Amino acid sequence: MSLPLSGYSVARFGPASFLVHRRSVAVAAALLVLLSGAVVASLCLGQSTVSPASVLDVLLGRPSPDQLVVGELRLPRVTAGLLVGLALGLAGALIQTVARNPLASPDVIGVSHGASAVVVGLMAFGYVQTARQVPWVAVAGGLAAGLLVYLLAWRRGMHAQRFVLVGIGISIALSSLTSLFLTKGDGLQAQQAKVWMTGSLNGAGFDQSTWLAWVLLASVPAVLWAARAQRSISFDDSTAVGLGLRLNRIRLGMALLGIVLASCATGAAGPVDFVALMAPQIAVRLVRGAQLPLFCSALTGAVVVVLADLLARRLLAPVELPVGVVTALVGAPYLMWLLIRSRRGGS
Amino acid sequence: MPAITEPVRSAPPHRRILWLTAAVAVLLAAVLLSLTVGSRTVPFGEAVSALLHGGDTANAVVVRELRLPRTVVGLAVGAALGLAGAVMQGITRNPIAEPGILGVSQGAAAGVVFAISVLGVGSLAGYVWFGFAGAAIAAVLVYLLAGTGRGGATPVKLALAGSAMTAFIASLISTVLTTDAATMDQFRFWHVGSLAGRTSDVAWQLLPFLLVGTVLVFAVARGLDALALGDDTAKGLGARTGTTRAVGALGATVLTGSAVAAAGPIAFVGLAVPHAARALVGTDHRWVLTLSALLGPALLLLADTLGRVVFPPSEVPAGVMTALVGVPVLVALVRRKKVVAA
Repeated sequence: MSLPLSGYSVARFGPASFLVHRRSVAVAAALLVLLSGAVVASLCLGQSTVSPASVLDVLLGRPSPDQLVVGELRLPRVTAGLLVGLALGLAGALIQTVARNPLASPDVIGVSHGASAVVVGLMAFGYVQTARQVPWVAVAGGLAAGLLVYLLAWRRGMHAQRFVLVGIGISIALSSLTSLFLTKGDGLQAQQAKVWMTGSLNGAGFDQSTWLAWVLLASVPAVLWAARAQRSISFDDSTAVGLGLRLNRIRLGMALLGIVLASCATGAAGPVDFVALMAPQIAVRLVRGAQLPLFCSALTGAVVVVLADLLARRLLAPVELPVGVVTALVGAPYLMWLLIRSRRGGS
Repeated sequence: MPAITEPVRSAPPHRRILWLTAAVAVLLAAVLLSLTVGSRTVPFGEAVSALLHGGDTANAVVVRELRLPRTVVGLAVGAALGLAGAVMQGITRNPIAEPGILGVSQGAAAGVVFAISVLGVGSLAGYVWFGFAGAAIAAVLVYLLAGTGRGGATPVKLALAGSAMTAFIASLISTVLTTDAATMDQFRFWHVGSLAGRTSDVAWQLLPFLLVGTVLVFAVARGLDALALGDDTAKGLGARTGTTRAVGALGATVLTGSAVAAAGPIAFVGLAVPHAARALVGTDHRWVLTLSALLGPALLLLADTLGRVVFPPSEVPAGVMTALVGVPVLVALVRRKKVVAA
């Protein structure tokens, strides 16, 4: 007997079978192709142009005259951008799912600003000195800011609009704290913090990428759990409770996962605004699904960051802009468009 | 449309006079603190005599040459922001309207950056016009953005449109600044929202603009009272809502533009102050505006003075302090139910 689920196929691996949304698979494949193209383009283009064949040589470890430029300079940067994009896209999809609101992305609700305020503060005053410490500090800052916004917005229940407004307020306060730390820190360390704050992927090394890659790998089981849980929390509250789902626990888990991923991404590259907001919304329109697609959102995030970084490097060459500037130049108009189109006052 | 929906409610006349007197007293105290507190503490008596009789002592010089200009600019900027916030809340009928949150200050900043980098303008009197233009463009765009779609300009949509606009303009500005070191140098002086190092020239150049802005906003005070009843009722009562909004917006733009040109974007003064004023004297706009013009500078000067003493010997810019003071006010407002009802 087959269920009349249009758009789905059943994949069987021996005893196990899965429902597969055909369009999602096609979109994911297309995004992967696009992402590979973006990565190769980003490795080829720069102060000096390198041929794709030579890039391939470097990637495969074959001897190449462009080993230095591609392997040592561009590859770490592109890898960092790729991983940051994956993490942000995923985080955005998770948090938007929990909030049921496209506007409640980690940058709007204070998570990214919290992470960067704490990192910049501790860095500028010399408490954080190695790249190894940054992720812990960033996660602590992101969680604290998220919790603060949540507690302040909670009043006999949670109201999405109140949440967003409180988040915007806290974000403004945190970013003015960040600029305070930048101006008041001790000379050299403050300088370093400033570079981190705006430098984004300029000079990103494999340090940042390595631990972000570990974080992403470690979160795979949690993401798979979230993808399953996502379907169940798409029911309305009373149905879900009737089915015996522990809604609040699921939401809390997904929100925490999203906050950790967003904070780690911020820790790796500094604040890269609007990616977490945009990526899931673009992905859901491509997939045309009922829920925000986690995997496709992550891929979309990666495509956005890699392309934005390429633009940031080439737009005003030889000056390199921070990637966050480009994502904001693209993302802010997108948020505005979202507002114009919103049919119910942004909820 | 969400609104400050109370009917025009007024405190009894003697109570208003009382609050007005109290506000004047607070403002005077803030001025005195601003003149006397800092890395060098000057006794009140000496500060007053330095103002009245001059003198060459170190204390007298500090008070006259450094603290006085800074305080005067603080007075002007604080009054401008308080008035601008009160008018913006009135014309949008939206409790969270404020030049900082709505991206108007950032727009003015972009205007100034444009003036410095593209046209090579170097004086405050030159900045101001570009500040106006930037503020006006940002204000119109944000309001249009938030107002389209169903539900009109709800607080959430206004705040989001404002923060999107702010982020967009901020990245435009940093694009210009990363490529233009000379502009960066001039820009750095005021972009944190600071009163430090302002000379008395700034205050004098600002004065005519402030006066024009103040006259404009007081001219529409009665119209704003009518608007508070809702557009339909206001029209029914014969109020010209379009004219009121246009003149009010012009006034708010002039006030915000000149404040930003003088001191950089300073957020939250325009948010917190009108609410405090309304709580004290009721919703009659003539009174709200008057009290905002007194409490705005009081808040800004207190924030500035506090910023001088929290992390000695360095100073915290006034804009950071007002954000830290203002956010609790925003949170308190948002937690009041009627603000969120969309």
